[in-house]
Amino acid sequence: MELLLFKHNRPGRVCTFEEYRDGGGFSGLKKAIAMAPLEVQQVVMDSGLRGRGGAGFPTGKKWSFVPRDLPGPRWLICNCDEMEPGTYKDRALLEANPYSLIEGMTIACYALGVRHAFIFIRKGYETAAANLARGIEEAKKAGLLGERILGTDFSVDLDLHLSAGRYICGEETALINALEGKRPNPRVKPPFPAIKGLWNSPTVVNNVETLANVPEILANGAAWFKGLAKNPEGAGNKLFCVSGSVAKRVCVELPIGTTLREIIDVHCGGMRDGKKFKACIPGGASTQFLTADHLDVPMDFDTVAKVGSRLGSGGVIVFDESQCLVAATLNLITFFARESCGWCTPCREGLPFVKEILQRIEVGRGEERDLEIMREHIKYLNYSFCALAPGAMAPLDGLLRSFEDEVREHILKGKCPYKTEKQI
Amino acid sequence: MPKLTIDNIPVEVPQGTSVLEAARSVGITIPHFCYHPALAIAAACRLCAVKLLDGPVKGIQMSCSLAAQDGMVVSTTDPEAMKLRSLVIEWLMINHPHDCPVCDEGGECLLQDFTIAGGHGRRRYQGNKRTHMNQYLGEGIYHEMNRCIQCYRCVRFYQEYAGGTDFGVMGSAGRVYFGRFEEGQLESPLSGNLVDICPTGVFTDKTGRFRARYWDYQFSPAVCQHCSVGCNTSPQAFHRELIKIVGRRNDNVNGWFICDRGRFDKEYLNTPLRPRDPMVDGTPCEYEEALAALAARVADLAKVHGPESIVIAGSPRLSLEGALMLTELAEHLKGATLSFYAGPAESEVSLGAVKLLNEQNAATVRDLEGADCVVLYELDLIEEGAMLVPAVRKAAVRGGQVYLVSSGQRTLSKPLPFAYRQVASLDEVIIEGGAKGVVICGAAPRPAEEMAQIASLGAKLMLLQPGPNGFAVGTVALESRAVPLSEVLSSGKVKALLAFEAELPDRLPEGVTLLACADWRASDLAKGAAVFLPTTTWIESDGTAVNFEGRAQHFQRSFKAGLPLKGLDPKYYQHQSPAPLHPPRVPHGEIPGGKERDCWKVVAQLIEKMGGGSMAEPLTGKWGALRDLDPEGGGIRVFGLRDR
Amino acid sequence: MIPEELKKSLQQRVATAVTAREAAVDVMKELQSHYGWLTDEAVGEAAEILGLSTLQVDELATFYEMIYRRPVGKKVIHVCDSISCWCAGFERIMEHLRKKLGVVEGQTTADGMFTVIPCCCMGICGDSPAMTVGGNFYGSVTPEKLDEILEKERKN
Ligand SMILES: Cc1cc2nc3c(=O)[nH]c(=O)nc-3n(C[C@H](O)[C@H](O)[C@H](O)COP(=O)(O)O)c2cc1C
Ligand code: SF4
Ligand code: SF4
Ligand code: SF4
Ligand code: FES
Repeated sequence: MELLLFKHNRPGRVCTFEEYRDGGGFSGLKKAIAMAPLEVQQVVMDSGLRGRGGAGFPTGKKWSFVPRDLPGPRWLICNCDEMEPGTYKDRALLEANPYSLIEGMTIACYALGVRHAFIFIRKGYETAAANLARGIEEAKKAGLLGERILGTDFSVDLDLHLSAGRYICGEETALINALEGKRPNPRVKPPFPAIKGLWNSPTVVNNVETLANVPEILANGAAWFKGLAKNPEGAGNKLFCVSGSVAKRVCVELPIGTTLREIIDVHCGGMRDGKKFKACIPGGASTQFLTADHLDVPMDFDTVAKVGSRLGSGGVIVFDESQCLVAATLNLITFFARESCGWCTPCREGLPFVKEILQRIEVGRGEERDLEIMREHIKYLNYSFCALAPGAMAPLDGLLRSFEDEVREHILKGKCPYKTEKQI
Repeated sequence: MPKLTIDNIPVEVPQGTSVLEAARSVGITIPHFCYHPALAIAAACRLCAVKLLDGPVKGIQMSCSLAAQDGMVVSTTDPEAMKLRSLVIEWLMINHPHDCPVCDEGGECLLQDFTIAGGHGRRRYQGNKRTHMNQYLGEGIYHEMNRCIQCYRCVRFYQEYAGGTDFGVMGSAGRVYFGRFEEGQLESPLSGNLVDICPTGVFTDKTGRFRARYWDYQFSPAVCQHCSVGCNTSPQAFHRELIKIVGRRNDNVNGWFICDRGRFDKEYLNTPLRPRDPMVDGTPCEYEEALAALAARVADLAKVHGPESIVIAGSPRLSLEGALMLTELAEHLKGATLSFYAGPAESEVSLGAVKLLNEQNAATVRDLEGADCVVLYELDLIEEGAMLVPAVRKAAVRGGQVYLVSSGQRTLSKPLPFAYRQVASLDEVIIEGGAKGVVICGAAPRPAEEMAQIASLGAKLMLLQPGPNGFAVGTVALESRAVPLSEVLSSGKVKALLAFEAELPDRLPEGVTLLACADWRASDLAKGAAVFLPTTTWIESDGTAVNFEGRAQHFQRSFKAGLPLKGLDPKYYQHQSPAPLHPPRVPHGEIPGGKERDCWKVVAQLIEKMGGGSMAEPLTGKWGALRDLDPEGGGIRVFGLRDR
Repeated sequence: MIPEELKKSLQQRVATAVTAREAAVDVMKELQSHYGWLTDEAVGEAAEILGLSTLQVDELATFYEMIYRRPVGKKVIHVCDSISCWCAGFERIMEHLRKKLGVVEGQTTADGMFTVIPCCCMGICGDSPAMTVGGNFYGSVTPEKLDEILEKERKN
């Protein structure tokens, strides 16, 4: 199996500039600069690369929305907010190798005609930020970043913006507000960032992993990238970061289309303590639970969507038979209720409502009508201002779809069936 | 112009109109909280949901942030949309106190109305309510954070519209808090609008809390008479007490808002110290008696010293009607001198503006908002025309250049909430050829050369007046060749001064033997007048005001003048002995202290008493065209009339 | 009062930013590390450096999880309470901390050493349960390991 994201990784330490360069790094950038910007964009479009930040939007297409004829600057922002519970791939990537991202962003800037780009980094990723800061200096020194890259007229400034912790900053318009130093509430869309983003100019926001794919796509071509996936519709590799009840919790790079079964059994060494698989969240906290029935679904955007969940960020959280999914969902909802930005009513008030209900069900004070109220929330939180609240409803939706019996058992028995008398 | 249907009603609206506004245009109110026509779209409350059944967009959408498009089929009554709306109410009521009876907003609360409209009635949430601490926000506004529904209107108004920086939103999620960094007086001169803009009872007018409910109020369209901008208001009175003043929309003048002075400065209208009784030689009497006495004394004096010894004085506090009626009086007392200004400086400023302005060069508020260059000339804008501040701010935010020309004589009472360049003289101002420029001049004396220079800039002009109705009075003064009061008095020939809402000097010159005053306030000098005639304020009378840009606006009486019931002296109800049984079975039609009359009517009646004709209609001749002016309309500019 | 050097370096950061506001979070974080938490005084200083009002700074400060607007101990213990750490039993860690330090979430130990605050996912899900003490990361925490960590952190 061919690696591209983790290709340059060294065990236990970050790869050096020389190692990256000598291992074929920056060849993508050199190739790109010899092409016309729109050709570069076309290669990315042809490669089938889809956004790795969660929504899976085709990257080349997103770039193509940026108007080329407006006066004034354009911006590129790399989204390294990664606060989606269960997701740690961007950290894994940047702590091992900051250069793919730097090179990928430089290429993206070239394709988009961007002069000044930012990497928005969450609180807690100081190591990643330090790697990037060092990498940026090294690339500048080597003439691969900054003024007159590789002796051409093309110049790019790359700056880090270190945040102070808040999940909503990962939502692209909230991120733009955060970067501008405003309160990070999302913005009304349209206008979309591609038209009116950072400081009201056209802006592209891409995830770390998305941009880190770009150098190899340019170096090896669109067809090569497409061919990496296991399923015919898929393209490229994906980082899967696994946590929960598995024997080995790992972040691995695997072809798109790899099955959950393979991820768990082969790469994570099976379940922890020989427990039985009960369910998993396939792509970070805001995706629906999948069950044992879905273990052979190829992990790609459309195939996972077809079975009612989302590939999301690739943060796989595995639950075993001994775990109560009502309690797990309560934990997730508590997270989202706390992380709501407070802008719109359904999210700000609806999530605490759901939390209150789940709390009661979990301690045995649930009522039959609670199911109906939760279903109303699953449906109507879709009409929130941004995607946080609908995302928050995803695990609840999965719970009621696949584990309604478990919820009902709580209500009927008046206690959590997974808790011993002593725990209660 | 997109054509769509809303609840089966065909609607056609201008491009860019929201579905919410399109529905409003055919009489359908879609419930909403965060939406306010004066503010940027927030789409935060999610109450304005409608369902699009067919057309370019489908499904549940927020009507406030959805532009009407051709072929849309909108339902406001679709069960799904109604369900979402009722859920939004349920969500908001999770934490909202259920105590409308002890909330000063009750009766005029958007949340009450839309809770009823939303159909949510039974509590399903079983947790506790969230509570907040309140802040002291100064003497104008009471803060009750528990009533907040997080619509973000207040902060959008305060920061984006008014440019304030000391009030905003803190925290996140369910903990968002709308207030200040620390307790204290709100700094913005427009802070009082928080009362109007907040859909619930978070901000209420401290100066009138718990005095009455909305349905108790008597109110009519009024025009603020604090400065010459002429903002539209609704003064709300209860039992003859002016409880609150709120803003009234007029897009030609003040938009939706008013300044804090116009809202909170009302004590002098309610004060029991206001002169209420007609008096002759210091003794209270009936109005007719006082009028008769005055008519007789004026006639006597005219016989002995001739009408040339009489001055008839008014001021820019008079309504247009009052000013016109004074010219009738002068006509009747042929030879008497007419005066409208205390001194020559004030007169020059006011008349100079009237002379200089015309339909083409007089800037409107819209012109100001759209200006590329704004010049504030020797002017403390917040002091002299606070409601022009948001218009200048709009221009500045749009990228317009603002200059403050200040030779250093005038200082700013408060910092201006927009970016500007301060320069020492007009020479440093660059208005490029063809640029949309507006120069705003204060009512401080304006040297003629500088006015000439300003006029030559090619920019439009806003010349503020020294009094609220300066433009009307200035126009009348110009036509009637009025003379400033100080000048007439210093001639030494004056024997009688008849002052109608006029500003009196501190002392009268020797030789003045007759002083008569008609006013709703009284200086010490006025109190000693031989004849005193109490008049009504603009809130208690009908009339016409003309603002600095020559815009005539009608105001209407909100309530019949008289002493407020609150604090009423017992003499007004304990005069019967034995005291009547409770409750009294015979109503008294008389309003305590309610003898005041509208100033123009007092003048008209005086003329009649002196043998002149009856003057039932003050707006005659060319001014007759203003008789039917709609008090709720936008007002009309009078240049055409004036120059007729 | 902050030292002149710190003030200079913050002014420098603001001067090189695209807009002053872009540097706001950096400025607040620096002031926080100087004072331990973002005191009212620090908010005033940030406001001055950024050309904003104190309210405008507070609007930002109160939004972010890792800006403290209340006093905290010498070191803040953040215990992740999100789903992967839940799976790995963060509740046991929290329980142990409560007992060991005699505080509940949000409180500071009597000696002013530690403040315990739950926090959201720190991206150490592969090594859950996770926590930070004074900014240092610890993964796969067990009650036994926790004792050692506290011991160590108390010393340096
Ligand atoms: C609540 C919320 C949080 C998000 N957090 C992140 C994040 O931490 N990192 C990220 O890359 N995208 C995040 N996203 C998705 C971004 O909005 C955006 O779609 C993404 O950065 C685009 O990059 P991509 O096209 O490369 O995937 C989040 C979205 C939402 C609604
Ligand atoms: S759904 Fe609404 S409240 Fe929640 S994060 Fe998005 S905008 Fe904020
Ligand atoms: S704000 Fe409105 S709904 Fe709330 S208590 Fe007051 S009157 Fe009632
Ligand atoms: S205080 Fe009033 S205006 Fe401000 S958000 Fe709350 S309800 Fe809305
Ligand atoms: S009025 Fe439309 S969302 Fe609030």
